Amino acid sequence: MSSPKTARRLTRILSMLPYVISHQGVNVDDLCDRFGYKRSELIADLNLVFLTGLPGYGPGDLIDATVEDDEVFVDTADYFSRPLRLTPAEALALLASGMALSSAGQAPPALERAIAKLTRVVAPEAEGGLVVDLREPPFVDLLRDAVTSATVVDIEYTALNSGRTTRRSVEPWSVFSANGNWYLSAFCRNVDAERVFRVDRIRAAETTDEPFTPPESPPPPEVRYTPGEEDVRATIRLGPAAHWVAEYYPVEVLDDDGLIRFSSSDPAVAARLLLRLGADAELVEGPEVAERLAEFRSRIQARYRTD
Amino acid sequence: MQTVHLSDAHRVHNPRVSKVIERILNLLAFLLTVGRPVSADEIRYTVAGYEQDEDEAFRRMFERDKELLRQLGISLEMQATDAFEVEYGYVVPEGGYELPDPGLTDEERAALWLAAQAVRLGGQPSGPEAIFKLGGVAGAVGGEPLAANLGEELGILGDLFTALVEHRIITFHYRDKKRTFKPYGLVHRRGHWYLVGATTDDDARAFRVDRISDLAVRDPAGAFTRPKGFKAEKSIPDAPWEAGSEDIMAEVTFDANVAWWARREIGSNATVTEQPDGSLTARIPVAHPDAFIGWILGFVDEALIVSPPELRERLLAKVAAA
Repeated sequence: MSSPKTARRLTRILSMLPYVISHQGVNVDDLCDRFGYKRSELIADLNLVFLTGLPGYGPGDLIDATVEDDEVFVDTADYFSRPLRLTPAEALALLASGMALSSAGQAPPALERAIAKLTRVVAPEAEGGLVVDLREPPFVDLLRDAVTSATVVDIEYTALNSGRTTRRSVEPWSVFSANGNWYLSAFCRNVDAERVFRVDRIRAAETTDEPFTPPESPPPPEVRYTPGEEDVRATIRLGPAAHWVAEYYPVEVLDDDGLIRFSSSDPAVAARLLLRLGADAELVEGPEVAERLAEFRSRIQARYRTD
Repeated sequence: MQTVHLSDAHRVHNPRVSKVIERILNLLAFLLTVGRPVSADEIRYTVAGYEQDEDEAFRRMFERDKELLRQLGISLEMQATDAFEVEYGYVVPEGGYELPDPGLTDEERAALWLAAQAVRLGGQPSGPEAIFKLGGVAGAVGGEPLAANLGEELGILGDLFTALVEHRIITFHYRDKKRTFKPYGLVHRRGHWYLVGATTDDDARAFRVDRISDLAVRDPAGAFTRPKGFKAEKSIPDAPWEAGSEDIMAEVTFDANVAWWARREIGSNATVTEQPDGSLTARIPVAHPDAFIGWILGFVDEALIVSPPELRERLLAKVAAA
């Protein structure tokens, strides 16, 4: 296996050469800027190119690469005058990224044009075959603006775990999408700590005029779950139809036969999951969860009895 | 006028890596100009950089180089060197090396680059290599208006993308069954990638990409024609319980306290009526009762299936077994 580094360096060389061939005399600094080179790296790469060419490897066979007065010239390399084609993964990643912005209503006209042009080249026979749908829940725009302007936002938030609704004053740091959900990473003034909120669980949001100072290096936008001391733990045996739970939730796998330990800050999370799984899972140990599950069960049964 | 001869310039890189790069550039120059299939032996004795004493050492080096070409996106094929098809050699086929010019402006390239930085696929933002291939970006400045993660499985997505672009039949395992499938599209929705298309009997199907294993992309290209006017997004249901084989109309009441949340989740195919007390009554088409009951149970006792009776019974049976 060659290292990915070698592939990346070759890709850059084989992209830079066609550009120079069609822009003879391009300024060194402009070329560096366009292809992310440091000057020394560009010189080293041109230096390598200078040693290569066609069999015979005499003066007329080798590629002629020169820098004169900070202008770059490449000659006798017509076979490298077109850039490399994109790999399927590269083409897909570019198109999907563009479409993600577009579906979220964040694409400038230039991006829409670029997606259309690129699709015609890399997927001419598959138009309409790639779809990225990142529809946004309410308040994403408002929160994004508040991140940009660093202003405090008041939100009414229903916690996924407990179902409890609270009013909070937050300093929004970033808005991001992961696993199909939108999240707000923010400093919550009510608890005096960083929190990640699911945006679709925000019932109401209102911007204030109050500015705040964002942290110099905010935590990376990702959904983190770290089991805490005060977490409620439950041991659950998953049946074959429920094995997906072990992949979907951050659980501790205890054996090869579906035994897991589930931790959460509120026993209601595990209780709701057990309700959904029905006979496909069994609570082995966890008194708080058992209690909550029994409560849910009787509440549901009561509701259906009176109906 | 000052002229710098580049071969005199200072070497800043690892000499072993430089040797690989020189050799690959020589190999490509040869393959792109020779105009006929060339055998591995001819490459070995013609292209600078392959001076190997041992057959085995050459073979290993050449295998690595072929893999590197593949990583770059270059396609290398075996073709007969003459009409008698006795000997075969390597050739870069028509369209196997270069990118057709998409005609992008600097502004459009910059927009693509910003998009690529704002979206993660395969665990990280795309590297700049794809943008370099498109001609680089002049004076690009950072700025991430949107940060989205489209999942981890880039490798298999690339293969599926190839298959759908080139209209190739694929085979794979899904839920322990081997499937043969015509891929028409890839859709990212609700946090998952879906492969949509048809079975060899032309049954329309959708599969979760993260549950696909043992994927094989078959020859030849152009093995099927997509139905005219195919729209991939129409093949993926709006709500998880709309994907299935049953056809049930459920009537559900959501209490006022959870009405806002039900509205956001319910999907566009349901009819929703708000009651004077703030609660909702909804008529919801259900194709996958298990998924539907799972969703309703998330509301605990703040949602009630009013009808049909068999869905109520299935819900209560599930609750009793939990």
